[in-house]
Amino acid sequence: MSAFFQQLINGLSIGSVYALMAVGYSLVYSIMNFSNFAHGGVIMIGAYIGFFSMTAFKLPFTAAFCFAAFGAGILAVAIERIAYSPLRKRNAPFLYFIISAMGVSIFLENIIIASPIGPTFRTYPRVFSAAPFNIGGVNIGRLDVTMFLISAISLAVLVFIIEKTRTGMGIRASAYSLRASALMGVNTDRIILIVFGMGGFLAGIAGILFGMKYTVYPQIGNITIKSFIAAVFGGLGSLPGAVIGSVLLGIIETFTSGYLSSQFRDLIAFVLLIFILVVRPKGLMGKITEDKA
Amino acid sequence: MSKRVVLLALATLLTLSLTLAGCSKPADTPAESKEPEVVKVGWIGSLTGDQAVWGTCELNTVKMLFEDINKNGGLLGKQIEVVGYDTRGDATEAVNAVKRLTSQDKVVAVIGPNASGQAISISAVLEEMKVPDIATVATNPKVTVVDGKTKPFNFRVCFIDPYQGAVAAGYAYDVLGFKKAAILYDVADDYSQGLTEFFEKYFVEKGGEIVAKEAFKFGDVDFRPQLSKIKNAGPEVIFMPYFFKEVALSANQARELGINAVLMGGDGWPSEVLLEMAKDAIEGSYFVNHLDFDDPDVQEFKAAYKAKYNLPVELNGYLAYDAVQLLVDAIKRANSFDPVAIRDALETAQVKGITGQINISKDTHNPEGKDAAIIKIVDGQYVFQQKYSAK
Amino acid sequence: MDWFYIKGILILSGINLMAVLGLSLLTGFTGLFSFGHAGFMAIGAYVTAMMTIKFHLPFIPSLLIGAMGAALASLFIGRLTLNLKGDYFCIATLGFGEAIRLILDNVQYFGGARGWPGIPMYTNLTNVVILDIIGIAILVNLIRSRHGRNMKAIREEEMASQTIGINVFRYKMIALAISAAFAGVAGGMLGHYLGFLQPKMFQLIKSTELTIIVIFGGLGSISGSVIGALVLTSLPELLRTFAKWRLVVYGVAVVFIMITRPQGLMGGYEITAGNIKKLISRLASFGRPRQQTIGGDKE
Repeated sequence: MSAFFQQLINGLSIGSVYALMAVGYSLVYSIMNFSNFAHGGVIMIGAYIGFFSMTAFKLPFTAAFCFAAFGAGILAVAIERIAYSPLRKRNAPFLYFIISAMGVSIFLENIIIASPIGPTFRTYPRVFSAAPFNIGGVNIGRLDVTMFLISAISLAVLVFIIEKTRTGMGIRASAYSLRASALMGVNTDRIILIVFGMGGFLAGIAGILFGMKYTVYPQIGNITIKSFIAAVFGGLGSLPGAVIGSVLLGIIETFTSGYLSSQFRDLIAFVLLIFILVVRPKGLMGKITEDKA
Repeated sequence: MSKRVVLLALATLLTLSLTLAGCSKPADTPAESKEPEVVKVGWIGSLTGDQAVWGTCELNTVKMLFEDINKNGGLLGKQIEVVGYDTRGDATEAVNAVKRLTSQDKVVAVIGPNASGQAISISAVLEEMKVPDIATVATNPKVTVVDGKTKPFNFRVCFIDPYQGAVAAGYAYDVLGFKKAAILYDVADDYSQGLTEFFEKYFVEKGGEIVAKEAFKFGDVDFRPQLSKIKNAGPEVIFMPYFFKEVALSANQARELGINAVLMGGDGWPSEVLLEMAKDAIEGSYFVNHLDFDDPDVQEFKAAYKAKYNLPVELNGYLAYDAVQLLVDAIKRANSFDPVAIRDALETAQVKGITGQINISKDTHNPEGKDAAIIKIVDGQYVFQQKYSAK
Repeated sequence: MDWFYIKGILILSGINLMAVLGLSLLTGFTGLFSFGHAGFMAIGAYVTAMMTIKFHLPFIPSLLIGAMGAALASLFIGRLTLNLKGDYFCIATLGFGEAIRLILDNVQYFGGARGWPGIPMYTNLTNVVILDIIGIAILVNLIRSRHGRNMKAIREEEMASQTIGINVFRYKMIALAISAAFAGVAGGMLGHYLGFLQPKMFQLIKSTELTIIVIFGGLGSISGSVIGALVLTSLPELLRTFAKWRLVVYGVAVVFIMITRPQGLMGGYEITAGNIKKLISRLASFGRPRQQTIGGDKE
């Protein structure tokens, strides 16, 4: 029985990593209606900012955490300005946004490789003890618990901003219809910047936590593919959907590996994804949008 | 109208740049009669992509060694220029790169690549252009021999998967006395699949039992689901045939889950980064290596590399070093820069490299009888145990 | 520059072009965006190789069987996913591509992740060019037919097309199957050009590259796809001396093209095949939604 609970914990822990990435991505989707494939690149930069704050500048973890989050937020806003805003002004179809995002993501990965930072794997200094909690034969890593708490707090703050503040109202309105909110006097340009900033902020947090849990290298952004899939599971553009989809994907993957076949894990996860989409074409909690023209 | 202009401009630009790229090369029209002053040696491998860490180290090594040779008067009185191209770890790119090296740059030999997939796909080009290649860590047997036929221009300096698998299985069963092994491998990686296949084969042949065989997919960072399953199977040793980043992560996670089994691996392990990332988790583990890092012969190179690039040498650096030794020896014995003559000399090469004695077999183009080194991690150090060869 | 090297780039451009032509039909003429075309290429490549190696069939029939294999897979996956919108379809195809790769990694009959060496090298510049020309001819004829106009109608106004009686699902299915068949042929040619196949060759990045070429060339323009395939296959080669900076430049170039010329090189233009002498760029109607009525291509 403890094996089952161990796998459940494993799945929850993997799922919460996906969730942290999926939320930032889904937030941008809810406003812009396109998959921001540069999100992984921003996460990666966040991880590097955190790493160098702690090693080269010998800053404490909390300071590094803030630097990573704000640095990534600024980067995300800059990307919006440079790579998406000209397209937005032209009303370009979502295809162009995706391609532009991919260009950014290729650029970010390779600028790190080509720069003096190089392709080397970097290890964060140890902040949290490696020894796990042991509850009835089930091992729970300390870092996992910390990550879970930090993710939960950041998500709570995000939900508060969106649900309770004026800016949040603007975001919700823009998510419903960007054009209509602009007509109603919402400064959508500002809303978009804020949303990218918040998405980047979350990416920075995801980056530093991811870097601490695993390691830092130029390709860590690739793991976001999984969180894109998780967001589709949950329904694009829906924040609760992103969280539920991520946890679900984490658990499905874990139990597939644990009880069916680790060789065909992704295949089974894919079949499930297709199945969910056939039954619910907008994912579990996807927002209903009119067709994009 | 303006669009047509833009199009025309772009088309012209492309044509021009193609022409320019062609012209920028020194026009060597009377090539054959008069040998150029500078002789080119090619290198291919990953400078970008997932394998960039290893590729970069190889190119650095090759460049450093030829700079030394040039400083000491060059080779057969000629200066050597190293031309290195990135392959992104992609077989198609490797073919393009070798085509460029052999036709446009007219290299006399190619060193690299660092992965079997690329080494296999370039052999047709090598044969057509009659230029030899010395692969560094391409361990798939099919790099040099396919369907019993030896590829005339492919060589390598490393031992091959079946051999390494046999060494690991033999050492685990015969020397360490383990009877129950589990395997965790990367299903999307050719190296990992190859090593797994042969470890399993030899371990079972010897009478051992594989109690669990679990896979992950390249790019994964979390292995706890697979490791939890392995834990329940109760192995004495877990074989981890993949590269050090994943080794560090999976070793840490295994210990976190309370797995105490001995970990064992192959030549994807050695790196300073592994110790940095998972010092405690891999304590007491073993792996199969190409050389003993504390061998006095190795120290000079290690120090020189560190001084020049301020980076530790990855394993590929040592094999790239030996590939260069092999090539230099072949050129000297051939007493010519003719690629075919170099090829012929390579077929009978006997060189003492830093990874051991390299005797190229004419039949397989592999270094035959190269002993493997068994390394154990003790107190966060790579400690050489013994030379071990599989029968 | 040496002809041997240029020839290699041209063959590769031709192979990419074949896949891009198919993708151009799907994306440029029906508005569907696929990230799984590397998966179709992989199916085509492995089926074709199986035909030539295990069944000793000649190259061209094998290619056709490979194309059929890819098209069959696309019918299966299309049935399930073609009703999805935008990014949902996109992620579903992405998952499909990765799933195909995972299956091939596990199938030891084809060498698994270790790859499949010893494939006969049948692909050469001549047959690539001939196959590309045939591919272009098929596509041009299709686009100019009634079916082609219906597909464009779907791209511009899906809902309206449905209302006037176009079977949207059926046309999307046809477009997907044809594009998968093209990708299958491309895969078959690639395998017989390299003489080696490995699931690693068909990663997500391959699908991405193909899509980038289509967008770069210009949505809905076949001549754009041709130029796009040539330029973007040669570009990384021209940048080779930049070594590790190569992909940095590539990334910047992609973003730059998108923000300065989002309709792509040839968006809205077509070099008509029949009139080589004049090489007239004809103002075609597609690619400019706002000035456009349904089926407005007056041919």
